[in-house]
Amino acid sequence: MAAGALRGVLWPRAAAGLRAARAALAAPAGARAASEMSQDMMPGPYPRTPEERAAAAKKYNMRVEDYQPYPDDGLGYGDYPMLPDKSQYERDPWYQWDQPDMRHNWGEPMHWDFDMYIRNRVDTSPTVVPWHTMSKHFLLFLSIMLIMFGLGEIYPSYRPVGPKQYPFNDLYLEKGGDPNKKPPTVIHYEI
Amino acid sequence: MAWAPPPSAAKLYRPNRFVSLPAELDPATFDTSPEKLRAETERLAIRSRLKRQYLLQLNDPSPPAVIENPALIRWVHAKSQNVYPTFRLTPRTSFLGAVYGLGPLLFWIFVLKADRDRKEKRIQEGKLKRSPFSVFF
Repeated sequence: MAAGALRGVLWPRAAAGLRAARAALAAPAGARAASEMSQDMMPGPYPRTPEERAAAAKKYNMRVEDYQPYPDDGLGYGDYPMLPDKSQYERDPWYQWDQPDMRHNWGEPMHWDFDMYIRNRVDTSPTVVPWHTMSKHFLLFLSIMLIMFGLGEIYPSYRPVGPKQYPFNDLYLEKGGDPNKKPPTVIHYEI
Repeated sequence: MAWAPPPSAAKLYRPNRFVSLPAELDPATFDTSPEKLRAETERLAIRSRLKRQYLLQLNDPSPPAVIENPALIRWVHAKSQNVYPTFRLTPRTSFLGAVYGLGPLLFWIFVLKADRDRKEKRIQEGKLKRSPFSVFF
């Protein structure tokens, strides 16, 4: 069924190239119609027997002990290895990677969420301050500020104010009053 | 009076789901057993073999037009073509499918309907004037 769907879909040749590697992360659904990889080199269903596990580990260029597929609960991972959730930030910046911007070597198994863990996006480097401290501080601050602002909206408090007083008999001429008529006297003070 | 010793830095840090443990607090960094050494050697052997294959292709006097990365091809295939064949209906997947598929649809149906009913009620009560129909908002 998969082969029928793959036929006729062209794999863009430049997508897997060295220089276009970053574009390859956004490339459309790949078919193996134009690549030399046989079907047994492609990801497949969840491995059930130890031989299948060994074959899958060899396929993905991993040690058999390192190879750990995602748990088989039908979510569609197949036999893809479950790699540690570490972003590309955490990799050694001084090592000569084959792809320095991705910090990724040719042929090395890519994380399922590789496009999330690139250096422009999610960073899982260890933080200076423990995560629980940071989240506690942030949530405390946010909640206190929101509660205070909310209370300020419900119970506003300000100094006593009266209506604004305008000069010139409440701006009689500016408000369009007749200049020939005597304006009504407005006195704002009491002695 | 003797106080309890202060909690270790690793306990203070508390490993969590979002960031990794610093290397200094991770016990795996200080593990110098021969098993770890053998594992590292095997990984290095695999890495060197792959690097050699790659560099041979890269520095070839008549290089191929495109050096395909099989890991990349497998990754793309796994995320696009291999999901449907390996998908299975389980209670969890059916539940998630219903939540993500029908949830937003039903939510917005009810929210928009309730909002429009409330607006219609206010128009009937006379508090709101029915706005003239316009295709230009």
